[in-house]
Amino acid sequence: MPRRKKSNKKKSPIAVSVIAVAIVVLFLIRLYQVYEPMIRHNFFKNGISGPLFNGLSLTPLGNDLFSSISYLILSLAGILVLIGFLRLQRWSWVLLMAWTGASLIIALVDFFYSHANYVVMASNVIIAFALNLPGVQRAFDIRRDDEAHI
Amino acid sequence: MKPISDRPSAPADTPDLELLRKFEPVVYYTKGEQVYPTAVEYYVRECSLREHHPDGSEELLVPQGQMTMEKLIEPRPAVFGSIRYLRFIEPLDLGDAARVLADQAALRRRIGEYFRPGIGRLARGGFLPRLADGLFSLSFLLRGRVPAADMAAAELDYNAIREEHPEYIYYGRVTRQAGWTVLQYWFFYYSNPWRSGFHGVNDHESDWEMISLYLYEDDGQLIPEWAAYASHDFNGDDLRRRWDDQTELTMENGHPVVFAGAGSHASYFRRGEYQDEVTLPQPDWLAAIIKAWNTLWTKTFGQKPVEAFHVPFVDYARADGLRIGPDGPHPWSPVLVDETIPWVSQYHGLWGLFARDPISGGNAPAGPMYNRDGTPRGRWVDPLGFAGLDKVPPPPQAVHMLEEDSQEISRRQRELKPLIPEKADLLQSMGMELKGMEGNPHLAKQYAAQEKGITKLSAELRDLRKEQTENVALLEGFDRQLERLRSGLKDDPHAHIKHLDAPDNPDEKLRFDRAAETWAAVSLSLLLFVIAGLVFFASQYVWVGLALALIFFVVIESILRGAFVETVAWVTLLLAMVASVILFIHFWKWIILAALLVMGVSLMVQRLRELAG
Repeated sequence: MPRRKKSNKKKSPIAVSVIAVAIVVLFLIRLYQVYEPMIRHNFFKNGISGPLFNGLSLTPLGNDLFSSISYLILSLAGILVLIGFLRLQRWSWVLLMAWTGASLIIALVDFFYSHANYVVMASNVIIAFALNLPGVQRAFDIRRDDEAHI
Repeated sequence: MKPISDRPSAPADTPDLELLRKFEPVVYYTKGEQVYPTAVEYYVRECSLREHHPDGSEELLVPQGQMTMEKLIEPRPAVFGSIRYLRFIEPLDLGDAARVLADQAALRRRIGEYFRPGIGRLARGGFLPRLADGLFSLSFLLRGRVPAADMAAAELDYNAIREEHPEYIYYGRVTRQAGWTVLQYWFFYYSNPWRSGFHGVNDHESDWEMISLYLYEDDGQLIPEWAAYASHDFNGDDLRRRWDDQTELTMENGHPVVFAGAGSHASYFRRGEYQDEVTLPQPDWLAAIIKAWNTLWTKTFGQKPVEAFHVPFVDYARADGLRIGPDGPHPWSPVLVDETIPWVSQYHGLWGLFARDPISGGNAPAGPMYNRDGTPRGRWVDPLGFAGLDKVPPPPQAVHMLEEDSQEISRRQRELKPLIPEKADLLQSMGMELKGMEGNPHLAKQYAAQEKGITKLSAELRDLRKEQTENVALLEGFDRQLERLRSGLKDDPHAHIKHLDAPDNPDEKLRFDRAAETWAAVSLSLLLFVIAGLVFFASQYVWVGLALALIFFVVIESILRGAFVETVAWVTLLLAMVASVILFIHFWKWIILAALLVMGVSLMVQRLRELAG
């Protein structure tokens, strides 16, 4: 039987694919959150049709536009992280963990004080637990084999 | 200072005091140390003698100024539960306390020795231990405590007496047990100003510390083999080091070197700064919750255990202060003691203030021979057990004992050699008899008895074969050990140590040293200010605000300590667990349904594969 050649490439655990899918789901949700206020204000037909600021505070239009821009930045950041993540870059693990933590804080604050977005919450929970798996941490050089804890 | 290369020895008939002097230690202190080993007589005559009764009342037995060593041991009947104690510093009013603290500052200026903590214990511990430290500090409001002014007054009084009696005393004891000659060096201090002077765990009046050396006799010479240094209330194997352990035991001209902790006076083998921990008392239910949480947190999630109730403290044994010992400007003045000395054996009380501290950290210690409750002290009555040496024979006896054990096992092997085949034959014969009884209903009773006998013999034979095999391995081990001992080879000097108490690495600096230290000093107060701000300005967001503030503080701390990745991981994991609970509460039916479906599909796939394959 011919001997199989050993690959020098790092193996990607299944959880990495699960996390990647969760990132894509979150990206799609964020993309919807980018477009929804714009569609509501007929932004694509009328452009910016009113003032964005009322004194020092934002008008409803300004608020929605600000939200859209924030979510757009988040979505783009998500894509950047996804690329790094699929290439098993250490920085992407750290960034994704921090990002997931921040996202969970927002989701929990939303849950306690306004409306909860359970899909976002569940996606973040899956990502957080999956990122904590020893195999995933080893793949990203977060945990070495001789370490019990990260 | 240089590591040992050869061992000193003394003739076996050397008088005790000479023997003590031959091996007496060199003790190095930390700059800023306030008190040094001195004579008990000077201290006692400055004290009052008191009794704390079980009903909480206090009785003055001998007032200050009238105390003598004779009055200390005078028999006085007392009810069960009474605590007799000396009091060195009488209660100070506010004016006295202020004056004493000012005098202490003036004394320090005059001596020109200040203690500088460097990166303090708070910066080393982390944010959660700092919260616990806040609780620990608050606990002093409820627990008894020795005021800092009392420690300052003790330092002033000690310095006044030191001018009259500048000698440094140790109380030496020589005792012989199980082939070992034990030299004990006891040091008496006026106070233990660890908390007030060096940010440590506790303060108390008076302090007793000791080290022990263990010598064996060979060819009429006493040769040192082990040194055990008392460190806080630890006991056992971890306390002792072998005389030839060049990495752990420092020697100066054949004298072992002790590095004394600043204020605590705990004895260490190596110079440095030691991290100690105090676990805050917690109710059983809380301890059970923490244990269960830690099991989940460490085993399931692979995180470090939560140790929020452990308060870190630093014991500074820097050796940059006074040196006391032979071949130097400050030699010892030894005093030989044993059970015949009245103050050693007849005074069971405390050697300083009974501060009514339930955790005992603030109560003064008892004398060398007794515990605080008046029971005999292990390190006096059982000096071998204190250092885990009760199971270790002196080297010359070790060879003899090992030879005897080896001979005993060889004898047993000779017994087993014919015994095992004999029993095996008997068992086979019984088996044949059993076979012969089969098909004869009238032999049912005998059959049952035979079956029982076979089971018993079979077990016996199995045990004998096991013993024979184990003995072979044991003999091989004994032979190897004997060979090593006869050729003078020693085991690894650290083989007996389970937990090696090592100082912090002085080269290891915290990331952003100064920033970390400043943050450590102010962060807890800042958090309290944030809470106050939340309560007054955003009362509807107190809980979420507090949670966010805590996360923010923990993340800042992690950046300063260079542990950002680790901290972000556990904070996110914690948030994910909270979110999981919320999701489960809202969607438990769907979650159970999904779990059942996944399990069903998985089982079906497995079974169908089995069927197909």
